[in-house]
Amino acid sequence: MKVKFYSYIRDYTRCKAVDVSGCSTIRELLCRLCELYGKKFHDAVFKEEELSNEIIILVNGRNIHFLDQLDTSINEDDEVTIFPVVAGG
Amino acid sequence: MFGWTGNILRVDLSNGTVKKEPLNLQDAKMYLGARGLATKIYMNEVDPNVDPLSAENKLIFMTGPLTGTFAASSGRYEVVTKAPLTGTIGASNSGGHFGPELKFAGFDGIIFEGKSEIPVYLYINDDKVELKSAEHLWGNNVFETTDEVLKETSMDARVACIGPAGEKGVLFATVMNDKHRAAGRSGLGAVMGSKKLKAIAVTGSNSVKVAKPKEFLESCIDARNKLKAHPVTSTGLPTYGTQILINILNESGALPTRNWRDGGYFEHAEETSGETLTEKYLVRNKGCFGCSIGCGRVTRIPEGKFKSFGEGPEYESGWSYGANCGVRDLAAISKANFICNELGVDPITMGCTIACAMELSERGILSKDEIGRTLKFGDAEAIVELTEMTGKREGFGDKLAQGSYRLAASFGYPELSMSVKRQEMPAYDGRGVQGMGLAYATSNRGGCHVRGYLTSPEILGVPQKLDPLVTTDKAQWLKIFQDLTAVVDSAGVCLFTTFALGLPEYSAMLRSALGWDIPDEEILKIGERIWNLERLFNIDAGFSKADDTLPPRLLEEPMPSGPAKGKVVELQEMLIEYYQVRGWDENGIPTDEKIEELSLR
Repeated sequence: MKVKFYSYIRDYTRCKAVDVSGCSTIRELLCRLCELYGKKFHDAVFKEEELSNEIIILVNGRNIHFLDQLDTSINEDDEVTIFPVVAGG
Repeated sequence: MFGWTGNILRVDLSNGTVKKEPLNLQDAKMYLGARGLATKIYMNEVDPNVDPLSAENKLIFMTGPLTGTFAASSGRYEVVTKAPLTGTIGASNSGGHFGPELKFAGFDGIIFEGKSEIPVYLYINDDKVELKSAEHLWGNNVFETTDEVLKETSMDARVACIGPAGEKGVLFATVMNDKHRAAGRSGLGAVMGSKKLKAIAVTGSNSVKVAKPKEFLESCIDARNKLKAHPVTSTGLPTYGTQILINILNESGALPTRNWRDGGYFEHAEETSGETLTEKYLVRNKGCFGCSIGCGRVTRIPEGKFKSFGEGPEYESGWSYGANCGVRDLAAISKANFICNELGVDPITMGCTIACAMELSERGILSKDEIGRTLKFGDAEAIVELTEMTGKREGFGDKLAQGSYRLAASFGYPELSMSVKRQEMPAYDGRGVQGMGLAYATSNRGGCHVRGYLTSPEILGVPQKLDPLVTTDKAQWLKIFQDLTAVVDSAGVCLFTTFALGLPEYSAMLRSALGWDIPDEEILKIGERIWNLERLFNIDAGFSKADDTLPPRLLEEPMPSGPAKGKVVELQEMLIEYYQVRGWDENGIPTDEKIEELSLR
């Protein structure tokens, strides 16, 4: 599946997007990404075992908060977006 | 006097006279300042059916009680008049340093009335106030005007002015201050131009006094600490500016694309994003008076045919010229935005009007001969060229100067104008962010995102996560957001502080500044009073329930793709609930009980 990063998450990943396979939930995906990108990424994304409230994750445009949160299941053809809480107007 | 200075300037442009008047404290306590108080004064003095561009109309510049104090991001002032673009109450606020300087000169606000025979500008140096000829400035752009007025008055002065667009009655002309900051929406610059008032320069040597300095300082430090602790105001806005939202709204499937025709996903969004702006063109960030956020962008396009230098673009102009015109060239988008600042044009309405013309042209409704060039979505040169022509009302720009509604209606296709009450909607597609659909339909100044910014809870989850695809609870949330925003605008602080602050923080700053002893709820009630006052103006000006609507495209054409695929804005059910929550009757008119409860009239 394609995973896209925005805003200062890119400072931790050093890339705009990555293809990942073999993850069936968002929690598994995040753990895989933490292995790839290290402690800074981990600390930005997790607060203890749960998703940091400063991070928003979309699966095909839907916030996982309105799906099954970290247990949201994902398929190979899904698109996942990860960004910090930022705003404009 | 605490918070307020207690003085208002009244300038009769027909006679060339200037009077100093005491502030009506009763009204100030009920309507706070800036947007609320100026609207109250305006309604006391002007017939709501006035022609906005006539001598009978008045134009009010007003600060809030926190403007120019140590309060968080306290650089705001409001311009209020009847708006030429919409015919509704017009109220636009701006940051920079002009508002605080007016307070330092000893004035809460300025009421302009009548119409001058020759172009003039007003120079305020503390108590010394004079009208000066601006005949030599007429025709100059915003930067030239500002530089010349500074030279003629004081290099320490702060200048608000109009560009050629305001002089020539472009219906979405802005009032600009400190060169790059805009009271941007609804065409208030055209009212200033109609009065032949080119500029206001102000310099002051006083400071703003507060009632309880120790408590005030503590409340301001608390607010500032919260701004520094919140990711939006401490990191996101300073680093990337407002344009950081381009990718996020696009991924959420709610970035309106090609005049809202192609749904909420723009395939080239990344090229026009805040990330790309930061990487390629950002020189530095910039803050307004007393601001710790610093969301402003100083931007340089170093080479190529769009080589230029200026401030911005913001999310809204990045979208209006970008995704909404199908343009992927960020250099062109930036250049078009800079031209808006130079000529004094609202980039939201400008970009949206060009997008509307692009659709009219692609459908064969507008011909190449009428436009003077070919015009298709994606044409980067067109957005720059047509903006310049509109600001100067040259060629086809003269038609664009009326905004998208009048343009599309003149060809028999008003439904192709993506506007509410004739003002173009900003960059959130209500089909994918349902609450924003209700916000647009009910905003007291037509299509507008900064009266009740439900994007914050619906997309960003601040202060609480609301599902953007459902209508549940949106009416209640919108009422609170609209009322609180009216408080923030009227206090004279920046709306962006609301990402980190809430009613308790604003109330603490206001209470200690003004020496008030009232609960938070009473302060929120002031916001509700202001909202209802604006509503009453619009009703008296001829607006009704029928105007609380959205373009047919949002109500009848389902979103073609993305998470909101198949959805339209479910406006009717939200609107019925909204009127109930507001305490209005089924026609959207405030009931006698509500009017009495709020001590209106």
